[in-house]
Amino acid sequence: MNTTTQTTPKTKYLNPYVGGVLLGLVLIAANFVAGRGLGASGAAKSAVVAAVETVAPDHAQNATFYSEYLESHDGKPLNAWLVYQMLGVIVGAFLSGVLFKRLKFKVEHSPKITSKKRIILAIAGGVLFGFGSQLGRGCTSGSALSGMAVLSFGGFISMAAIFGTGFALAYFFRKNWI
Amino acid sequence: MKPRTILAIVFITLGLVMAAIPQNTTHPYKLTPEQLLEQVNSGIQYFSPDQIADMIIKEDPSFLLIDVRSLDEYEEFHLPGAVNIPLPDLLSDEWKPYLNQDVRHNIFYSNSTVKANEAWMITLQLGYKNNYVLQGGLNYWVETIMNPEAPEATNPNEEIAKYNFRKGAGMKLGGAATVTEESNAQPLPSLPKIAPQTNKKRVQGGC
Amino acid sequence: MGPLISYDIISQNSNFLFAFLIGIGFGFVLEASGFSSSRKLAGVFYGYDTVVLKVFFTAAITGMIGLLFLSLFNWINLDLVYIKPTFLYSTIAGGIIMGAGFIIGGFCPGTSFCAASIGKIDAMFFIGGMLVGVLIFAEAFPLLEDFYYAKNLGIPTLSEKLGLKDGVVVLGIIIVAMGMFWAGEWAEKKFPREEY
Repeated sequence: MNTTTQTTPKTKYLNPYVGGVLLGLVLIAANFVAGRGLGASGAAKSAVVAAVETVAPDHAQNATFYSEYLESHDGKPLNAWLVYQMLGVIVGAFLSGVLFKRLKFKVEHSPKITSKKRIILAIAGGVLFGFGSQLGRGCTSGSALSGMAVLSFGGFISMAAIFGTGFALAYFFRKNWI
Repeated sequence: MKPRTILAIVFITLGLVMAAIPQNTTHPYKLTPEQLLEQVNSGIQYFSPDQIADMIIKEDPSFLLIDVRSLDEYEEFHLPGAVNIPLPDLLSDEWKPYLNQDVRHNIFYSNSTVKANEAWMITLQLGYKNNYVLQGGLNYWVETIMNPEAPEATNPNEEIAKYNFRKGAGMKLGGAATVTEESNAQPLPSLPKIAPQTNKKRVQGGC
Repeated sequence: MGPLISYDIISQNSNFLFAFLIGIGFGFVLEASGFSSSRKLAGVFYGYDTVVLKVFFTAAITGMIGLLFLSLFNWINLDLVYIKPTFLYSTIAGGIIMGAGFIIGGFCPGTSFCAASIGKIDAMFFIGGMLVGVLIFAEAFPLLEDFYYAKNLGIPTLSEKLGLKDGVVVLGIIIVAMGMFWAGEWAEKKFPREEY
């Protein structure tokens, strides 16, 4: 067994229902204050647009994907609600990690695969998720969770498509997780 | 009790309450029939012809007359400065910035008050503010402003003052003639400069 | 009254400050619920750990109930709250690709940031991959544009689609979710496993 998989045997997590209600309250707060739900992939989009604008400003002006985004953000792609929210997420998760003593550099994976394989799969999954979240106009939090809370039809479709595909493909990737 | 049981009890109770509550109360901008009836009965939507005539003469910029009759009728006769929004076109996007604003008073008028009141009720139900109706419509306007009836000399002074005002206003606004020379459509007034509605749109979001 | 930003009760800059605070709450709850562990997240697809299902649906239902009640008391104008427009084909296709990304990569964007911030190296690579994925989409956008904007349904809600009252739809979702929670707990007993 790879040493990186070993952790404290019984790390303490919040009861999922309590966590769910708390997450729901955060979601209500976001809607009440800012009139919008939570999100994550939007921050990744901001980062990519900002990077492209810095590296290749001409390209960013010419390609519609970047120029439309820059236009809607007054040319400051990082000055976006989701970017600030995402910075908060990183801080919040870190605080929780400190509180429950889960801060540790490690690669988490099933004992049946190596760390290297896990990292390659993580990158592949990341690429798919990044692409899919742009095509689907939002990720699990932005589209599915926030969308469902406002009863958006699209939110339910996103949720069904994401989890449906996950279940459909689960068998083929079982070795990576179990 | 297991957390799931507690959660189920709380959620299902709240869900039943939610399902039992009538839908329209969850949309606060829509008026219930009772609220609408109250508004209609109170008559607060009316501006009297005297008020309007006074505002026209003073070239008060804080109001806009809206003729909700057909274009033909509008071209035949309309009040000075009025724009024409035929009732069937009321909901077109073109007119929304004029109707949904809180800078000036819109005053709907038609021959009687029927069409004007219909326009007013529709805008009210849409949650638009500052829309009003010319009391009595054009018929009453012609009766009072264009052809005012002289009161008996024995009437109180206010009545006589009112008559004098109406007579003066009538003359200034084209006398007893029901057809004005300028039958061309009025140029559209500029849109309200302050657009306070811009911020009250749906928030732009997205992942 | 709400959304505060729409009624100019708070400025744009305070809105960003609130975004940061809300983010802290979001990140804390996700991490504390165990969403920083990819094996825990993936567990929902094998039945050994259904925490994702429970947290996700409990949060969505809490959100629905909360927003409907706030709207009932006129504390929030739901007509001003952002609802993502539904473009049917791209939503379905995007969801399928994300589902594949989820089972392969073990995270979704929000959870990957949580996991990375407590030191999960695989999550950091996931984020790197995600940025590449966004970049690929951005570069391929001219090819995908027609598909991206196809079948625009506007901003329908589920209740409008079903022709039911919001409250009835929420009650239906609650009942379905309770059934799933029960099934999830049954699955966790059937495929037991200790916490990672």
